[in-house]
Order: sequence, then C-alpha cells, then structure tokens
Amino acid sequence: MLPDANEIRTLLAGSGVDAEVDTVLLGTVARVQAADAIDALAAFRADGYESLVDFDGMDTGEAIELTWRLRSYSMDCEAYLKTTVPYDAEIHSAWNIYASALMPERETAELLGLRLAGHPNPKRLFTTDGIPPLLRKDVPIRSVEEVKNR
Amino acid sequence: MSDARDDIVTVGLLAEGMHDPGVPPAGIRRAPTGVDDLATEHLIVNMGPQHPSTHGVLRMLVELDGEEVKNAEVTLGYLHRGIEKLAEHRRFDALGTLMDRGDYVSGIMGETAVALAVEQLMEIEVPRRARWIRVMMAELNRIATHLLWYGTMGLDTGAMGPFLYAMRDRESLLDILEAVSGARMMFNYVRPGGVVADLPVSIEAKIREFCDAFDTYVDEHDAILAGNEIFQARLDGIGVIDAEMALAFGLTGPNLRASGVDFDLRKRRPYDAYDEMIFDVPLGVTGDAMDRFSVRMEEMRQSSRIIRQCIEGMPEGGYTAKVPKVLKPPAGEVYASVESARGEVGIHLVTDGGTSPYRMHYHGPSLYALQALEDLMPGYLLADGCIMIGSADIMLGEVDR
Amino acid sequence: MSPTLAVVVKLVSIIALMLTNGVFMIYLLRKVLGHLHIRLGPMHVGPHGILQTMNDVIKLLTKEDLTPRLADKALFFLAPMIVFVPSFMAYLALPFSDTLKATSLETGLLFTFAVLSVVPIGILLAGWSSGNKWGLLGGMRSAAMQIAYEVPLLLSALPVVMLAGTTDLGGIVDAQAGTWLSVIPRWFITNPLIWPTFLIFVIASLIEVNQTPFDMSEAESELVAGFGADYSAMKFGLIYLSEFSNTFVMSALGVTLFFGGWLVPWIPMSWYEAVPVLAPTVFMLKTYLGIVLMWWIRGTYPRVRIDQLMDLGWKRLIPAALVMIVLTGVVDKLIVPLFNGAVSW
Repeated sequence: MLPDANEIRTLLAGSGVDAEVDTVLLGTVARVQAADAIDALAAFRADGYESLVDFDGMDTGEAIELTWRLRSYSMDCEAYLKTTVPYDAEIHSAWNIYASALMPERETAELLGLRLAGHPNPKRLFTTDGIPPLLRKDVPIRSVEEVKNR
Repeated sequence: MSDARDDIVTVGLLAEGMHDPGVPPAGIRRAPTGVDDLATEHLIVNMGPQHPSTHGVLRMLVELDGEEVKNAEVTLGYLHRGIEKLAEHRRFDALGTLMDRGDYVSGIMGETAVALAVEQLMEIEVPRRARWIRVMMAELNRIATHLLWYGTMGLDTGAMGPFLYAMRDRESLLDILEAVSGARMMFNYVRPGGVVADLPVSIEAKIREFCDAFDTYVDEHDAILAGNEIFQARLDGIGVIDAEMALAFGLTGPNLRASGVDFDLRKRRPYDAYDEMIFDVPLGVTGDAMDRFSVRMEEMRQSSRIIRQCIEGMPEGGYTAKVPKVLKPPAGEVYASVESARGEVGIHLVTDGGTSPYRMHYHGPSLYALQALEDLMPGYLLADGCIMIGSADIMLGEVDR
Repeated sequence: MSPTLAVVVKLVSIIALMLTNGVFMIYLLRKVLGHLHIRLGPMHVGPHGILQTMNDVIKLLTKEDLTPRLADKALFFLAPMIVFVPSFMAYLALPFSDTLKATSLETGLLFTFAVLSVVPIGILLAGWSSGNKWGLLGGMRSAAMQIAYEVPLLLSALPVVMLAGTTDLGGIVDAQAGTWLSVIPRWFITNPLIWPTFLIFVIASLIEVNQTPFDMSEAESELVAGFGADYSAMKFGLIYLSEFSNTFVMSALGVTLFFGGWLVPWIPMSWYEAVPVLAPTVFMLKTYLGIVLMWWIRGTYPRVRIDQLMDLGWKRLIPAALVMIVLTGVVDKLIVPLFNGAVSW
C-alpha cells in the first residue's frame, strides 16, 4: 500500500528528475520542481502507476501547490506527486499521460487562476466568465452581512 | 482566468519533448476538443440542463449526423455550490453536512470520508460498535442509491414500472434511515469519532424484515429488466469501457469493476469494520452497459449480506469516542477515501491547526466517469448516449460540487 | 330519413363516439398504468377520479395557444388537423354490428389502412414545423418508423382476407361465424395458421399507434414528447386525442380481423336481433380488452432503439409476413379442398 520512498527516488532519478521523497501521514510524497512535473508523471506511468485518481491544487499563501494522486493497481499502492507553481502561472496538461487529468485540470486552473497549455479543451468548467478564482485565499467568501447589505 | 501580465514570468511545466496535445494516450479514442457551436454540417443538439435523462443538471452539446453522435461535449457548473470553498469556513464536525449535499443520495458515505480524514489527523480511536453502525448505515445507503439508479435506468430505456417498484422498496429503506438518523436524505449522522446517536431499540426487527423482503424481490427486479430481451438489446455492447480505458480515465467503483479490474476499497483498504465482514465483490467481463448493470445488482445483494452480518453481530459499546466539542486537529495533511456507491469518494484535507480546514478537496467519482463518456459517445446513437449516462451512474452533485 | 340527414347523423355520432372514447380511454389508461405501477392513478376529482379527464379537457380548452417564433405558422396550424382527420375517418368502415356501420365499404380494410397511413405525414409535419431540433428528430423517427411498418401491417392482414374472401370488414366478420366442433369459436385466431400472422399484426399495430415499446418518436425520457413538444392547448389536445383514437381503431381492427368482431358464437343470433345494442356492446368490450392488453405492454416494456426497430421491420417482419401469405394461400386454396367434406374451415 505504501511504496518505498527510496524506490520512488531512484525511479524519478532515472528520468533525470530531482525529487525529495518522504513518507508522511499523507503517504509517500515526491516533491519536484515545476518544470519536471510532466517528466515525473511520465516516469510514474512507465513504472506501472496506471491511474491518476486525483488532481487538485491549493493556495498556500505564497504560491499554488499542485498534488497528483497516482495509483498502481498492479502493485496495489498509491503515491503522491507535489509541485509548486507561482500565481498566474501556466501549467502544461498531463492528459497525454493520464487522460483522467482532463477535467480536474480545467477545474484547478479555473478555481486557482492558472492557465492551461497543451489541453485539447481548456475552457472554463464550473463558473461563468467574470468569476474570480474562487479557491484563492484572497478571494473572500461573502458573509451573511455582506449578502444582506448588498 | 486572468490574462498574462508583462511583469509575471511564465514559469510552468515545460513542454519540451511532449507529444502533440491532439494525440490521445493509449486506451483513449480521441482528443476531446469540444463541440463547435457554429459548425453547420451536422445537427447540433443541446441536451439541456433540464432533461429527464441526464440525472441532474447536466448539459451536453451533441453533434449528430442523423441519429449517430459525431462529437459530444459536456458543460458543467449548473450545480456548482463551492463546497470546497465553503469547507474552509466550517467547523470540522459540520463538514459532513457539506458532504451530504455533494452526492446527495449517498450521504452516509460522504460523511464517513470526511470523518475518517479528521480521525486520522487527530488519531481518534472509534469504538467498535460505532464502526459497525457506520458499516450498516453505509450498506443501507448503498442499497438505496443502487435502487434509485436501477429505477432511473429503467426510465431511461422507457420502462416505467421498475422505477416505481424501486421507489416502493426504497421507502422502507428510507424509513429505517430516518428512524436512525432523523432524516431521509441529509443524514448528518456520521461525525468524527463515531456517530451522532445510538440505534433505536426497535430498529433490529425492522432491518431484518427489510432484508428478508429485499432478498426476495431483488431477483424480481433483476428479472424484469435484465431478463427482458428489449433491455438486453439496448444495453449489450453499449458503451464498452475496457480495463485499459477505465484505468486511463481514473474510474473507480462499480464502473471500474465492470471492466474487470478487481479493486474495492472495502477489501483493499479496509476502513470502519469492513475487515470483519464477509462479502464478495462482483466483477464484470467486457465493461459494457449490461456488465455495469449486473455488477450493481449483485452489489445490492452483497450489501444485504453485510447488513445481516451487522445485525447478527452488532457489538455492545459506545456509539462515539470522546471528542472535544470544538475539533482542532493538528496542522497536517491527509487523504481519506471510502467506497461510495458510485466509486471512490476521496477527501484531501489540509489543516493548519485552526477550527476550520485550510483546504478540503472533494474527489467525486462521477466527474471521472463523465470524462470517459465524452470520449465514448461518438460512434453510438443518441439513444445509446442516454443509456451510457445512466449506466455510468452520474450524480451531478458530486461532479459539480 | 333523407340521405343527407342520415350522413350528418352518422358523422355526428362518430365524432361523439370518438370523443367519448377518448375521454374514457384517457381515464382508463391512467388507472391501468397506475395499478401496474402499484399506485392508484387519479383519485381526487370525482369518486375514484372519474371526472379527471373532464378536468383535463376543460384545462386544454382554456389554455393559451402558443406558436413558437421559429415555427412555420401555416404547417404548425395544419399538422394537428392532418393527424386528427384521418383518425376520425378510420371509424367509417368499422363494423359495430351487422347493420350498425357508418358505411358498408367493399374495400373497407384497404380504406382503413389507407386512411391511417396519412397520420405519419401529419406527425412529420408537426415535428418539422415546430422549429425545434428535438421535434424534428421525433418527427423524422416517427415517419421512418410508421411508414416502414405500413407494409408488414397490410401484409399481415392479407392472409385474413384470403381466408375470408373479401376486404369488406363486415364480410370478414361474417366469415367468422359459427363454431368449430361446437365449442371453439370459428374466429380466425383459433386457426393455428394465423398465429404468426397475428403476432406480426400485433407488433406492427403497436408501432402504428406509437406505443411503447415502440414510442421512439415521443420517447419521454429522451425527446420529451418529441414531435408534439411545442404544441399547447387544443392543438395538443387534437394530437393526443388522435393518438388514443388510433389505439382504439387498431384494437378494433384486430378484433374484427382476428377475434370475430361483434360475433360471439355462444350467443344465438336471435338474441343479437332482439337486442340491437348487444352487438356493439360485445364489440366494444372486445376492443377494450385489446386496448388494455396494449397498455399492459406499455407499462412494462422498455423502448426499442430506432435502428433495432428498422432492422426488425425490414429484415424480419416483412419476410415473415410474405412467407405467411404464401403458406396461408397454399394451405387454404390447395390443401384444404383436398380434405373437403370431413372438415370445412
């Protein structure tokens, strides 16, 4: 269920990716530079992690942290890949590696204010034009008073 | 999305050595480029947000050549309520109410996911009885969800009878769920630490009665639809998702198992009391709509089996652990997932030591099934499209969140 | 009674029959479907909901008659009439009793089928003129389906014509008089040779009346009333009424062709002559039994896909119907006369 951190490090190093791999409460997490993320995903895919089961982003206050959750059915384990991108950055789609990234990438890009490259259909997914990236910490949620005094 | 500004350096995931975005990866048939509204050679039909067959407010733009679908695009967001944003402003024991409104039919399982996440962070030990109650409620909820799916599957194909039979049977289930949790739909029953209240005294007899009745008529329900030649002709060979495609699209739950991949979170990553339950996991062979139908029917039978075991062996004890009134998990990050009726509901919870989550991401399995449908629909007829949406059991609440 | 007055009386009574039928059938449909679905159907308006249809008719009469902006106004106005009038005309040749028919046509069967085949044109027009893609899809499906199935419908009626020796519906009923071994009625349905033909007739007639399992042109869960979606108030009422009327006519045809019309051999002919209302009552009872059977199928079966339906029609039903014609002809005209004397059909 928990892949060995050293194995992941070796795997990624084999693709020329410099990664910090730790085993924490979340699981086995590999942290890479933004530029290496696609190569890291390709390496995972080639090693037998057949499925991308989740992709999401988080506003850490200084940058945006992206997390991929990969599952290998043949090895019955999950691994996490994390990277950090600056605000308003452009991320390249991983759909050629994992097709399940299609809509989650659109969702994450829309709700966190990123741009998508290499995606066949990079349109907005959940909100209409003009809505700010909702999951950013500086976009406030409206309080009851605000709504009453609209 | 904001436009590129001159003072921001575009640092991103570099595209060197990447393939052409138009080329699909292995297992996928085509690049989903969306439907061009202005093209005029084919008929572009809008299966609008209000439609009897789309199981919620889903809008599909379908490009038709006669009756055959050439291209399909899914437009979402009609049910987007910002659950993930709202979660950042809720106390941890109130997160269950948000999950109730995600997949609103399988409320118990959504609540369990978030409860497990908080329990992992706070290292709370849930008493045995509470775990057994959770399992029993989850399985009752699973049968209710699958019955609703069964009824709407019949409606999609035009058979009105099975829908009403399913609703009748669901009434007794909802009565039980209401007796235990107080509500028919938004249960708000599973909390971090256990459950809200203990089972009522008379519930055991009611559940036994339900299981006995259910075991007789689930076969009837199966026969009315699956034994019908017309239904078989409508479903056999439609929407075939082979194992490679299922894995490529990140499917989970009955959709994945119908394609032949043996992975059930209740067996592989047992949570609550599933490691003490004896049950089988049905698998499909070809991954067509008929397989998905049969897998869910069989899952209902297995759920009934689990419920019986729960009733027979329900341990004594507390229904919840002692948890503080205001939950304050330590700063950390955890991912908890449960086997919901539709797939794997996952909660990625990031906390900063406060009384609300810093970030909660809610993974809804129907979103991934919907992506797969966009790829599947071209090549089939429009009528098949409705069947495919139905057989994949899409729930817009957990797609849009 | 002057001929003109007689004609007027006949037409008025047919309209009255059609409307009464419609009212009663709508109520019956809701009750039948309701009980099949373990629910009650209409219960509130009047005792056991008897006045429900009255309510619905008044509602339809008082609703606003909308025409969509994109609709082709002339055709939009015309289409419901093209759907309704042939349904009305189909009643003309139906034999309610020996003497009670609107007109005694020698080519009654052919006339009825000819008139019913105008209905798909109306449906196609309704779908097209709605100015709505969904309506268009419904209309096109319906045209493809109903026009294609005219052939097996007519072909399945031919063996009956062969056995009866006439296309006059009254004559066909007369040919089914008497009993076989003084126990089994000599209806055509009791002739085993007719059973495959009857099956083809049932399937084709279900399609002609747009009934589940063949209601793709309405397809509630896909097209949501398809060709009729944009019609409101009485235009919708006309289309809806004509659908029920077609169901009645098809069932009546089935009863006439296969179940002996108004004849029940255990009731002596003297009773029929003594009580003039007996024959039509028997006829209506039989017809309603047929209608309830059609609705039983409707409440249970899922819907067939359009291409599967076309497949069924062109590749299976038409060859089967042709084979049955040849078989019936051979048996009836060649083999049976060889056994003449001992047995007579």
